[in-house]
Amino acid sequence: MQPEELQARISPKLGENLLGVEPFAGTAGRVRFRPAGALELFETVRDDLGFRHLSMVGAIDWVDHREVFYVVWSDDARQYALLSTDLAADAPHVESASGIWPSANWHEREAWEFVGVTFDHHPDLRHLLMPEGYAFHPLLRSFKLHEPEELEVKSRRV
Amino acid sequence: MTTPAAQTKPAPAASPPAGSVPVELPMAGAPAVPFIEIETLRSAQFIPAAKETLGDLIAEQGQAKVIRPVFNWAGRNSLFPLHWGLACCAIEFAAAFGARWDAERFGVVPRSSPRQCDLMIVNGTVTWKVAHKLITLYEQMPDPKWVIAMGNCATGGGPFRTAYSVVPGVDKLIPVDVYIAGCPPRPEAMLDGILRLENLIRERKE
Ligand code: SF4
Repeated sequence: MQPEELQARISPKLGENLLGVEPFAGTAGRVRFRPAGALELFETVRDDLGFRHLSMVGAIDWVDHREVFYVVWSDDARQYALLSTDLAADAPHVESASGIWPSANWHEREAWEFVGVTFDHHPDLRHLLMPEGYAFHPLLRSFKLHEPEELEVKSRRV
Repeated sequence: MTTPAAQTKPAPAASPPAGSVPVELPMAGAPAVPFIEIETLRSAQFIPAAKETLGDLIAEQGQAKVIRPVFNWAGRNSLFPLHWGLACCAIEFAAAFGARWDAERFGVVPRSSPRQCDLMIVNGTVTWKVAHKLITLYEQMPDPKWVIAMGNCATGGGPFRTAYSVVPGVDKLIPVDVYIAGCPPRPEAMLDGILRLENLIRERKE
């Protein structure tokens, strides 16, 4: 599958929520979309294009905005594809993909925990790797390495 | 090879009269653990005789002086550490119980249940996520209990001291008796730590 084909098959469904498809080494292409069209895009990609496996969900803090990306795999085409969207830095949120690909559940919990992106309608959005009550999103660029004592006071739950 | 007379085992009495089996108890200040013939141990008189001897000693010297050394002697020779591993130091912990270092010759036998343990060797990086589980395990161990912080991570956070997820030293959570430096400490260092702990227990007063 080529980026042009992805573009041709997605754009009728997504309309202006599709921002473009660019080539990306090792994949069928990198689909840029607006968060408003997230659910529609996920369904199209899974059901019409055959990317039935969600390999990972990740999030990046670019300081002025946050990016959330999804890596999906098609067994028929034997190819990956990247779906990526930009979110506003204040209160970033996007629709959860866990209703479409259940494997998104823990990945989204991790992305929320470390980069602070909220996934709407996620069934169980709570800490995955840090203890409950942990007060920080530690992979944000604004997170400073704390003196151990400060971390302890803010996060200790015993 | 000649053996000094003082170290040869005493010749067993031909036929000890009932109730007068010579019993010496291991005491602080006593020259060595006394040698007791296995027949003596098996004989029906041993336990009453031991009780009598103990009773005399307690009446003479007070309970603390007599019982405490016995407990300390027994405790320090049968330290049972909790069998768990947190990070890379656990590999050295495991190696110490292998054939080459054989920690069991010191009476150190890892047990899988905290209820059977009196020693917790914290062998690895303690994260905030595992912190309250560690405290639960510690509280499940019966008294008296000891803690060894093994490696730089457990001692002070080690290379991850400023990381967002690491407890900077397990002594923030539970009291620690012996710290072992190293990243990771070799099994010899771990055994040295255990022997130092045994010395601490020897001095224990209450
Ligand atoms: S002290 Fe070193 S070897 Fe031990 S757990 Fe920490 S990093 Fe691993």
